[in-house]
Amino acid sequence: MPESIEQLDQRAEELRAQVRQALLRGDREGARALRGELRRAERAWHDAIELDEPGPRAGNQAPRGPLLPLREQVHQALTLLTVPAGPRLISSVHEALFVGAIPAARLTSVRRDEERSFRTAPFARPYYLCAALTADLLAPARGLLAVSTWPMERRVIGPLSPRADYLTAAVQIAKNVQRIPMPSTDAMRLLWRFAVNIPGATVEAAQVDPAAVARAAQSELEVHANADTKTRRSAAIRARRQLDEAQQLFGSRLGTVLSAEA
Amino acid sequence: MDSTGIRLDRIRGPVTPRNHSARTIAALSGNPGCARRAVLDAAGVDKQGLAAHVGFPAMAGQSQFAITRGNAFEAQVKANGCAELLTLLREHLSLPIREASYDNLDEVGGNTSREVRHAWTRRLLARAAQSGDDAGTLFDHPLLCLRVGGRPAYLEPDLIAFQLSGRFHVTEIKSFSVIDGQADGDKVAAAVIQSAVYVLAMRDLLAEMGIGPESVADQVVLVCPENFSNRPSAALLDVRKQMTVLRRQLSRLRRIDSLVDVLPPGLTFDLELDRAGVPRRLPAAVAGAVRSVDARYAPECLANCEMCFFCRDEAAGTTSALGRATRDDLGGIEHVATVLHLARGAGQPADDQAEVAQLLRTAARLRAECLGEAV
Repeated sequence: MPESIEQLDQRAEELRAQVRQALLRGDREGARALRGELRRAERAWHDAIELDEPGPRAGNQAPRGPLLPLREQVHQALTLLTVPAGPRLISSVHEALFVGAIPAARLTSVRRDEERSFRTAPFARPYYLCAALTADLLAPARGLLAVSTWPMERRVIGPLSPRADYLTAAVQIAKNVQRIPMPSTDAMRLLWRFAVNIPGATVEAAQVDPAAVARAAQSELEVHANADTKTRRSAAIRARRQLDEAQQLFGSRLGTVLSAEA
Repeated sequence: MDSTGIRLDRIRGPVTPRNHSARTIAALSGNPGCARRAVLDAAGVDKQGLAAHVGFPAMAGQSQFAITRGNAFEAQVKANGCAELLTLLREHLSLPIREASYDNLDEVGGNTSREVRHAWTRRLLARAAQSGDDAGTLFDHPLLCLRVGGRPAYLEPDLIAFQLSGRFHVTEIKSFSVIDGQADGDKVAAAVIQSAVYVLAMRDLLAEMGIGPESVADQVVLVCPENFSNRPSAALLDVRKQMTVLRRQLSRLRRIDSLVDVLPPGLTFDLELDRAGVPRRLPAAVAGAVRSVDARYAPECLANCEMCFFCRDEAAGTTSALGRATRDDLGGIEHVATVLHLARGAGQPADDQAEVAQLLRTAARLRAECLGEAV
């Protein structure tokens, strides 16, 4: 059984006294050994304190390590959002509405790993985390992740798509927050961050109502929806016709062709 | 490539040229008489490396912390299709709701070369200018081109917004904060002159396609963090005055070919880098080459030129090293030694120095009287 904090406190105090005495005696060897023991006692004290501390968020006793592999976590977040998203958004959505944060830096290599896996054994996995494609050149859009099972229309990004996707993401997040009986502060903060950038979504500065956010986002979405869907649909048709399977998922690198023309 | 281009390539040596940026153009307009800086910049020489090699490394430019902070703030404002920026433009500048289209010009299909990006920028901006509606609103990192000293310099504004009352607005995102509606005057001035460079470049680009200058607004949008938070705020700034200054100074900037023509043939600042990027050329030889191009050092150079310590060392003992005001006060005499000489009344001044010599002697006498010294 581990010692209690009081016991550890007492032991550290005794050891400190012993170190002082050893130094006074001129017993350097002894003092060194005692100091080692003191350090161990102090470490045990720190560990005990940490165990004793209540979790950072009450009611959100997250286990230390994530239970799911990284790609599953990203898939979860993207499925919730239903639109292509950047690492930062994926990470904050996962932190706010699922369990545990995904460090955004770890997401930088995901797309490359997935592409390698696809090229070695195409369609061996039920889904791949793939790229969103730019509507004009069908090249991978910078920093956006998507899911391979989504229709191509959703994975191509036209000029209006970043805004439309932002609004769709807001609607999705609002709906999910609405379903939680006691949303965490993280979830509310995420929703608030969306709400402040959507006209009419916040009534009072400090209060966010998920239903109001969803309503406001939906009404702005209606303004852009027509034009956006049109671009996306025509780009998707082009993509399906022009690109091979791997390119449809990970984009075509037209860079070299273009620079030769220029 | 014309002969000046070939000449400048030889001066730079076999390394890729450095980009001129709005910052360097703004700095250039601060000291247009400096032939050394004009040649180095036109040839795209790595001034930082050059200064370090000749023994005068300078800490010119932004600190890494400032750059990181600036990039983080810019990324935040532009995240999710410029969500925060759109809110600002809608609130302060009444951008219509349906104008939300966003084009990223950072790369073209994975290609980040300057020529390709510039061509793509021209295409998109021209389409936007000619077709008006539904042809783009926010253009992220377009690549513009401005001819400086007869050579093209590529420029990258943070963002150009279109459809604000039917005109292009250059938008500059800066990470210094605006506290209680007040920001650091120097920083705002620097941001404004940078934006003015972008407006000029933008107008040049549209003029090539026969579109008048009125399509680019005289006002630029400056986005800065508000108070002590990370929340962005926007302000419209008029750059007409800065534009006039810039235009005058760019035209005054002596044409680079006339500068290059008088340089010794075979002049080069090539550091003869080996494969690992270590310079092999003797520092003394490089310093000799640098000295063969005239510089005009002024204390302001310390704030915006990498060669500043080299030039300051070279200019030691001249009155201009003390600043333009001091130099003018001393009657435009070149060397400090001559000034002291005249003030002491030793020797006969030349005809054109007679008046100054008298003034200096009077000044010296007054000083001596004040301090109770013998002249």
